[in-house]
Amino acid sequence: MIDNGLLVQMILGALLGLSVYLPMAAGQLSLATPAFYAVGGTLAALLSTQGDTPSAISLGAVLGEMLLAAGLTAALALLVGLPVLRLRGIYLAISTIALVEIVRVAILNLPFTGGATGIFGIPQPFQQPLGYVLFSGSLLALAGWLCQRLEASRLGRSMAAIRDDELASRCMGIHTTRVKLTAFVASAMLAGVTGVVAAHYLNTWNARQGSFDVAITTLAFVILGGSRSWLGPVIGGLLLTALPELLRPVGDLRLVLFGLVILLGPVFFPQGLITPALLERLGRWKP
Amino acid sequence: MIEALLQTLLNGAASGGVYALVALGYTLIFSVLGVINFAQGALFSLGGYLTYLFLGGKIGVNGALPGWGLPVGLPFWLALLVAALGSGAVGLLVERIAFAPLRRRGAEPLLSLITSLGAGVVLVNLLQLLMGAEGYAFPQGAAGLAHLPESLLIGGARIRTIQVLLLAISALAVAGLSLWLENSRSGKAMRAVAEDATTATLLGINSVAVVRLAFLLSGMLAGLGGGLIGMSVSLAGPYFGISYGLKGLAVLVLGGLGSVPGAIVGGLVMGLAEALIPAEASGWRDALAFAILFAVLVLRPSGLLGRRQLEKV
Amino acid sequence: MLRSGGLSPTDPLAARRRGSARLATALAGALALLAYLSRSSDPAAQPVRQRGPLPLGAALALTGNANLYGQDQRMGISLAQGWLHNRPHHRAVELQLEDGASDEPSAIAAFNLLIRRGVIALIGPTLSQQAFAADPIAQRRGVPVVAASNTAKGIPQIGAFISRVSAQSSVIAPLSIDEALRREPGTRRVAVFFAQDDAYSTAETAIFQKVLAARGLTPVSIQRTQLADNDFQNPITAALQQRPQLVVISAQAVDGGNLIRQLRELGYRGQIVVGNGLNTPNIYPICQRWCDGVLIAQAYSPELNTPINRSFRSLFAEANNGRVPGQIAAQAWTAYQVLFEAIQRLQARGGFSGVTLAEARWRLLQELLSGRYNTPLGPIHFRADGEVVQGRFYVAQVRMDGTGRNGRFTLVRERELPEAKP
Repeated sequence: MIDNGLLVQMILGALLGLSVYLPMAAGQLSLATPAFYAVGGTLAALLSTQGDTPSAISLGAVLGEMLLAAGLTAALALLVGLPVLRLRGIYLAISTIALVEIVRVAILNLPFTGGATGIFGIPQPFQQPLGYVLFSGSLLALAGWLCQRLEASRLGRSMAAIRDDELASRCMGIHTTRVKLTAFVASAMLAGVTGVVAAHYLNTWNARQGSFDVAITTLAFVILGGSRSWLGPVIGGLLLTALPELLRPVGDLRLVLFGLVILLGPVFFPQGLITPALLERLGRWKP
Repeated sequence: MIEALLQTLLNGAASGGVYALVALGYTLIFSVLGVINFAQGALFSLGGYLTYLFLGGKIGVNGALPGWGLPVGLPFWLALLVAALGSGAVGLLVERIAFAPLRRRGAEPLLSLITSLGAGVVLVNLLQLLMGAEGYAFPQGAAGLAHLPESLLIGGARIRTIQVLLLAISALAVAGLSLWLENSRSGKAMRAVAEDATTATLLGINSVAVVRLAFLLSGMLAGLGGGLIGMSVSLAGPYFGISYGLKGLAVLVLGGLGSVPGAIVGGLVMGLAEALIPAEASGWRDALAFAILFAVLVLRPSGLLGRRQLEKV
Repeated sequence: MLRSGGLSPTDPLAARRRGSARLATALAGALALLAYLSRSSDPAAQPVRQRGPLPLGAALALTGNANLYGQDQRMGISLAQGWLHNRPHHRAVELQLEDGASDEPSAIAAFNLLIRRGVIALIGPTLSQQAFAADPIAQRRGVPVVAASNTAKGIPQIGAFISRVSAQSSVIAPLSIDEALRREPGTRRVAVFFAQDDAYSTAETAIFQKVLAARGLTPVSIQRTQLADNDFQNPITAALQQRPQLVVISAQAVDGGNLIRQLRELGYRGQIVVGNGLNTPNIYPICQRWCDGVLIAQAYSPELNTPINRSFRSLFAEANNGRVPGQIAAQAWTAYQVLFEAIQRLQARGGFSGVTLAEARWRLLQELLSGRYNTPLGPIHFRADGEVVQGRFYVAQVRMDGTGRNGRFTLVRERELPEAKP
């Protein structure tokens, strides 16, 4: 059922899930991921279709785009993050939804982004889907490794402290604004870089790629996978991206079933699939 | 010049009234539970379709039962009322499935964003299975306006008659709701729960009943809105309520979360701001709502009319 | 939470970290295994099936925002399938229909799935934006694609394997403007509306505006709308303040229908010219009696009096309570028909015997592009790059009946266009 093309989409989903997870690990419900994803994708689409486009592009050029996208999204996130991160809970969530919509309309209206049709004919760094699997897989491995390291680091512990109690953590001398901003910027960079890979994989890019729907779907990755460990959003992203495809045999009912999973998942697994208790048991398990 | 200004005001009021209606649905639930019901947009769609069916409309060729219709043909007012009740009932069901189990387990309120969205996805796709994706329009003259002109000229500005009617009904509904919140027993109970749920419970108020009432009412508001919009324009497929839902969200925050007058003022401000956009920039209209929202949040996080409050610790 | 000394073996945090490391390793292993198992299941190198029906794939938008078109397409294709199956043929064709939804990743997934199942060719996807995502994949794998509804510029140019039966708006749009100007030569003030988030409408309005400019008319007002809009009070009153004598609309059925209705309700009495997105009977229930009199240029006219179009019309009416088919259904029928006929010709010549699937796909493409077809759209053939060459276009006017809920596109003018130059 699963082919390499779907596997790429699943890995991209996991990366986006991680991007939503990072601010949440510091207690911030930010839904800005699709905005930065769209910025990254648009940047890659613009850069790689300049001049007379060859159908292939070197891996080095793609890495260059990723570097640029990371820089651009980091700068944007710094600019936006400072005012926005003063907001709490649902206010933060809605202001980041606003950001997503503003970016979407901007991409639709700007004179150089191809309007409704978008940018097409994006050159390919790989001839086979397997290339994308290896490339995005390495990116996921790197992001996962960093997250694993983060949990044990000073920054990671500060993030967890803010998530548990922001006021108390401030009293303990944690520079909360800086920690929250760091998480936000890291999330934006990850989304931007993912956008670059997605633009090449999708062959085309348009304003519809970073929409409110994406914000909610990626949030669902984190909630269903579990928001207490970086593995939660990864597994949530992999499973939920594959789900509509795996549900193809049920035909017209598949979106109804997909909705039921989102509806009932949190009811039965309020902490998500990957809970701290589960990880603890796994860690203590001796074969 | 004055005509143009009046026209802008009228346009702003016409769309603002609808935005306010949508935002009020969110407001009721937010004020008692502190969460957002993302199924609201789907309930809006549902209201439109129910009104269509109760008016005696038939299911189109892409639906599950082509050509089938309810064996009734109610007058518009009755159909609208029944549809609102139907949406209210489904709103209660959404509370039962997507909210109540989480509350009982004391789960993070954030989870209900996802469960309610899931409920919306299920609802919209069920509607699509049943009704198909085609657009539906209500029979002409269903609202008994056949003898009135299609549009009215007010001081040189033109507005469609149906929109005046829509605005009047929204205003009535909003006024009724405010009076009820202000004066009735259950309205007072709802305000008490909104103020402080724990204290309200200690005072002997059944907060579960109040929450259910809030879902019933906001479902009814959504149903009413959907039916009215269906009358004014048409039902543009099962997804049509979703875009209203998103706009309503912006209005909700603009006015101040959980504030009834805020939702009304927010809706009107939003409608007016959109009416003021010049034609050359009309492509940016959908960003405007969110740009205003963004600015308001950053400058005045409690919204236009929201109370400045410290975070509850 | 911030306990120090995370080194003790009983420490929950340490155990948790070890647990995540273990789970992550297992996950990486599982993903690698998945990638290995599904590395390449492309059946292109295998010999093509010699007997039994030949699988043909279609990826249509059966869910999401575009499914109004997808459902019409499904109807068109299934009618063509039934009709062609009952006529003498050399090789049966088995249709494999998958939901391509309304977004790009789903269209890619549907194409991948069908290609993996070994289809000989593909029909779809529904939206042009999806085509720009999914068609390059078919191109790389060497699978012929016939687009049934993609009208954006540059679709056949995606590659040699990509062709379409849906004519571009550049060919059709000018006809209706000329008809409007012929009827009212004194027209000076024109207002233009278009759905700016719709790929088709933005391309079409550019052509409308070019035609207007060529006739010496500068629009007095240009209003941008969105596909999801249904209240047009703002743009209409803004445009009407400029007192237009002609309104030109590029939109899709539901938003366009609402726009027409509200234009009339708000007192506009002049001529309305609409683009091809409104060339569907789906507009009747939306703009009702207000649709009456609207001018439209069509790539398909249900009034075309040829045997095949009569068959199509009657089959469609039979399946749809007497409804008249629209352009989307006709083009979907045509996409299936051209592939079916090409397969028959190739089979008759023995073109499928003893070759691999990849070779069979390549031969089918050559056969497809070299043929001439008599379809419900009229006679068509393909340019070498896969662009459709359609001889006949129509200008029609909507006439609503007394109930105001049903109407027809009455043919005003039929044009034979000289072959479009590459």
